[in-house]
Amino acid sequence: MAREKIYLEEVFPSPFMQLWGIFRKTPVAMVGFCCFIFLIILAIFAPIISPYSPVEGHLDMILLPPAWHTDGNVSYLLGTDELGRDMLSRLMYGTSLTFGLSFIVVIFSLVIGVVIGSLSALTKGIKSSFLNHFLDVILSIPSLLLAIIIVAILGPGIGNTVWAIAIVFIPQFIHITRYAVKEEFRKDYVLASRLDGASNFRILYYSVFPNIVERLMSQATLAQSAAILDIATLGFLGLGAQIPLPEWGAILANGLEHFYIAPWTVYLPGLAILFAVVATNLVGEGIRHALKLRKEN
Amino acid sequence: MLTFTLRRLSLFIFTMLVLTLLSFSLSFLFPGDTVINHSGQINATATELAQLNKVYQMDKNIFTQYGAYLTHILNGDFGYSMASHSPISIEIIKLLPATIELSLVALFIAMLIGIPLGFIAAINHNKASDNAILSFAMLGYSIPVFWLGLLAILIFSIGLGWLPSAGQISLLFEIEFVTGVQFIDILLSDSPYKWQAFSNASAHIILPACVIALAPATIFIRLSRAAMIEVLAASYIRAAKAKGLSFKQIIFRHAIRNALIQIIRHVGLQFANLVTLAMVTEVIFSWPGIGRWMIESISQRDYTAIQSGLLVLSCFIFIIHILTDFIYAALNPLARGNNHGS
Repeated sequence: MAREKIYLEEVFPSPFMQLWGIFRKTPVAMVGFCCFIFLIILAIFAPIISPYSPVEGHLDMILLPPAWHTDGNVSYLLGTDELGRDMLSRLMYGTSLTFGLSFIVVIFSLVIGVVIGSLSALTKGIKSSFLNHFLDVILSIPSLLLAIIIVAILGPGIGNTVWAIAIVFIPQFIHITRYAVKEEFRKDYVLASRLDGASNFRILYYSVFPNIVERLMSQATLAQSAAILDIATLGFLGLGAQIPLPEWGAILANGLEHFYIAPWTVYLPGLAILFAVVATNLVGEGIRHALKLRKEN
Repeated sequence: MLTFTLRRLSLFIFTMLVLTLLSFSLSFLFPGDTVINHSGQINATATELAQLNKVYQMDKNIFTQYGAYLTHILNGDFGYSMASHSPISIEIIKLLPATIELSLVALFIAMLIGIPLGFIAAINHNKASDNAILSFAMLGYSIPVFWLGLLAILIFSIGLGWLPSAGQISLLFEIEFVTGVQFIDILLSDSPYKWQAFSNASAHIILPACVIALAPATIFIRLSRAAMIEVLAASYIRAAKAKGLSFKQIIFRHAIRNALIQIIRHVGLQFANLVTLAMVTEVIFSWPGIGRWMIESISQRDYTAIQSGLLVLSCFIFIIHILTDFIYAALNPLARGNNHGS
């Protein structure tokens, strides 16, 4: 490396900041990131900014089409459903249910998975081999199928759906953490801090985690897009959020009866799910792209 | 190859043990009495119950109980459905072939569309067509499958009226149940309207299979693109170029074969994903398969059915998984060697 500024202290950005530097320069990823932030803000502030209540019906305004339609009413921007509930407010509240809950679910599974995964990375022998095979079996069962089974045990409802999906997503985080930690432990810088007398946990906390955090984040975005789809699918099948709750999948299932005369009650929640999943996937793609570029430099 | 087979076999046995253990423990976790969940005999009298307790060895320790349960499963006795009171094994034999048929057709469509598109994207790496295909792929695996199914019904069945929207075949055709796979049954039957039935069944399968195929197809695009880019960067391709082979010859004789091997490896993993999509799609298209049956069982609180459905579906997925492993090992000698429990 050429040292032009000899007397100035060189600043090496941390791996995470390097990644952010590359990430920032990818326009598509930044668009996805902005949409992601927008959804998070919407999920938090939906009760304050939504114009109407999501469950209260206006019986004189039943099945109103969106405002751009000739029969539309601008006070109900995205129209109303069969009970006169404002679609815009329902979709806004739905953000905190579908998107917000998927975010919380992923954080929860991530934390549990990382703890178990890093502990298991430190074990060796038959215990480790058993865990590996056991995880392989669990991972080979589709996540939605497992979630459906857990919902069958706990009974339908949004709370139980969240628990089910959280449990289902833990194994993949265990798997990736275990793999990443094992890989890092073979590297020289870990050996260096071990020679300095650091204990396993100290190495994990100060040396290994800062280096694997992006890989975990990339896995988390994958998991979140799957979580949004799973929550919505369970809602659609009637196993997740129950009737009055404005969860996107449940709104869609609710609109099915009036699909032909009021197609917006099906189009709009579907578009909302699509938007949230695309935003999440764009962020994930951006992280993976930046990781690849950082590796090449 | 022998060690490879033995290793797979031991993995298979281990997996089956874990899966049966899982479904065994579900009986304890589901609400209600364990032995009723095992057998599904919800209206059993006191004497029948005592008999069941004896058969499932409920008074012994947990290992004996598991052994008794395992014997029942191995004899093909999954108990009775709590909702319809018919033996679950018979219901599954009737329903599973429809799901297998649907998911295999969908897998075929996904590979047929996804792999060539991925190759085209890799050959035009970092050009406009590459970006277009990648954006399509991103959109494809972000679409919720139930929404896509509804849109497909609205456009192709209601709007354009091209394809039927529900069921496996028109009720006018009477096809005798032999294997359960509709197409084979039609070909085996001696009905004079065989070919009409065949085209009718094909029209019924197109829409659900395409809906299921979209997301796996986009994953195949990404896999085949990555595999092709890797192969094209290899030195034997450069050697072929140096020999003076044309670009077409390089792609068709060398690159495609080697890239395909890498993709076959992932087919098994994608299959689990595909079966989940098939379960949801079956509900939307009223396909008489095991996915729809399972989801209905949940609302009917038919715990025995849920338990057996999980066992059978995950077994099916795992068998496909192992089959692709074998095909991969047969095609690629490099894979047979050091493959430690991965």
